Amino acid sequence: MTTEPPSPGISISKTAEPSTLDVSVGPQHPGSGHCRILIRVDGDYIVSADPDIGYVHRGCEKIAEYRNYVSNIPHLERPNIADAIHLNWGYVLPIEELQGVVVPPRGKYISTIAAEMNRIMSHLYGLAIMQGVFSGHTTIFMWAFGDRDLFIELAEMLTGARLTYSFLVPGGPRRDLPFGFEDRLSRLLDYFEKRLVEYDRIFFSNPSVIARAKGIGVLKREDAKKLGVVGPVLRASGVKYDVRKVEPYGAYADLEFDIPTFEEGDSYSRYLIRFEEMKQSVRIIRQALEKIPKGPIARKAPLVAPEGEATGRVESSRGEITYLVMGDNSDKPSRVKIMNGSFRNLIALPFLVRNVHVADMPIIYGSLDYWPVEADR
Amino acid sequence: MSQVSLSREEAIIGQLKARFPEAIEETKIDRARRVTIHFEKDHVQEIAMFMRDELGFDHVKGVAGVDLPTQKKIEVLYFAGSYSNAEVQDFIVILKAKLPRDNPIIASVVSVWESAHFHERETFEMFGVKFEGHPDLRKLLTLDNWEGPPPMLKDIKFPEMGQR
Repeated sequence: MTTEPPSPGISISKTAEPSTLDVSVGPQHPGSGHCRILIRVDGDYIVSADPDIGYVHRGCEKIAEYRNYVSNIPHLERPNIADAIHLNWGYVLPIEELQGVVVPPRGKYISTIAAEMNRIMSHLYGLAIMQGVFSGHTTIFMWAFGDRDLFIELAEMLTGARLTYSFLVPGGPRRDLPFGFEDRLSRLLDYFEKRLVEYDRIFFSNPSVIARAKGIGVLKREDAKKLGVVGPVLRASGVKYDVRKVEPYGAYADLEFDIPTFEEGDSYSRYLIRFEEMKQSVRIIRQALEKIPKGPIARKAPLVAPEGEATGRVESSRGEITYLVMGDNSDKPSRVKIMNGSFRNLIALPFLVRNVHVADMPIIYGSLDYWPVEADR
Repeated sequence: MSQVSLSREEAIIGQLKARFPEAIEETKIDRARRVTIHFEKDHVQEIAMFMRDELGFDHVKGVAGVDLPTQKKIEVLYFAGSYSNAEVQDFIVILKAKLPRDNPIIASVVSVWESAHFHERETFEMFGVKFEGHPDLRKLLTLDNWEGPPPMLKDIKFPEMGQR
């Protein structure tokens, strides 16, 4: 019904219905990558929304067919630099399954520690930008981003890179824990646990945040199941589903942790669920540091994968991420399919922004922790 | 241990085979918690409905295309998962249908699994598979001015990226 082609930036066009207008939101960079949402508004209310994604599509799956298994690792973790370990791990698991390589226990523990550190970093990013900035709360933006950097420094100490680690290769992690790492990490966790209390006081218990997010964008449990959303978005709607429990990988089977869930399914409970998950991640890292066995960290894996296919999955910060890898007796995969949390949660956006105020859209978008680059691949 | 866990996989295959003796062509237990079912493409909606209502597989994790130029086929894969049925929560059932490469058409499962909406759009765009009955089958990821065949087909080559 648009009378003129939408142009970049905010464009408004008349529709056949006299009381409604089509508004193009984007393609700007709302904090995590470029995407555009075409919304139809009636006064201050959104009538319908059509996510127009693909502004950061790079053809990752096609490129993966041209590169060998190992050189795909840095390439396939690029779609989400805030969550590189999980994108990396999900890709490595099916290759190990195809090759029949088993990672030694110490390697599994190191991977688990790195992954949970990454989960905290990713949730801090979400808290700072997607939830803090989008609800106009600059203090939590500074605090969470500052504390995230402490974890980034330790990740650099462990892997050699700040964000894109390429840390896990088929067979296990690339490096053992460096000297003094365990001590520094456990001191950082002590500090971080105190900070979590302060986050609660400044942000989660803040009346202005509660007023902005509570009761906004309610996703009921049945709708969440039907739409097939994943990760924190799913668990905030009361579905207890976490790949770390459902199909344990790494060292998760040996470690004790809870899966927090909330019944409300609104934006505020999606904020809170990540806060609770960070507490669980601290718990997991502490146990892993205590229980980590001695021994080799990795086994040598062949560069070639046999013919066949394998599906592996991990619980990334944005939810379950499933990789299908098909081998054909060469050093390159014949097909890699990525099914990640952002792409699967995208369907919730047009569903949730219907009949809400335009001003509530950034809150809902932020609470989904949607990462356009991950979704576009 | 393995026998106990394997029997669950066999139970799913058994139920599907009993209900669709003609449509199920081939079944395979890849490993514990992974089942692959090859089926005849005309029965996709009935099988999806059965999976959802009787076996509790209430969502798809993704819909993928695989190009098989030597067989002149395009394979469509549905990764079905379950949130509702605690017994099969840890499963991924991969449903596979082969379509002719020159005219890949299959019925859409969006009416059964709403979660397939964007995945089917992506597979339509990348492999040219037409999902009949999809409410909004448009391009999703590529540029508006992209012309030419679907980019994920094997005969679309990018020599600047190396040998394949």
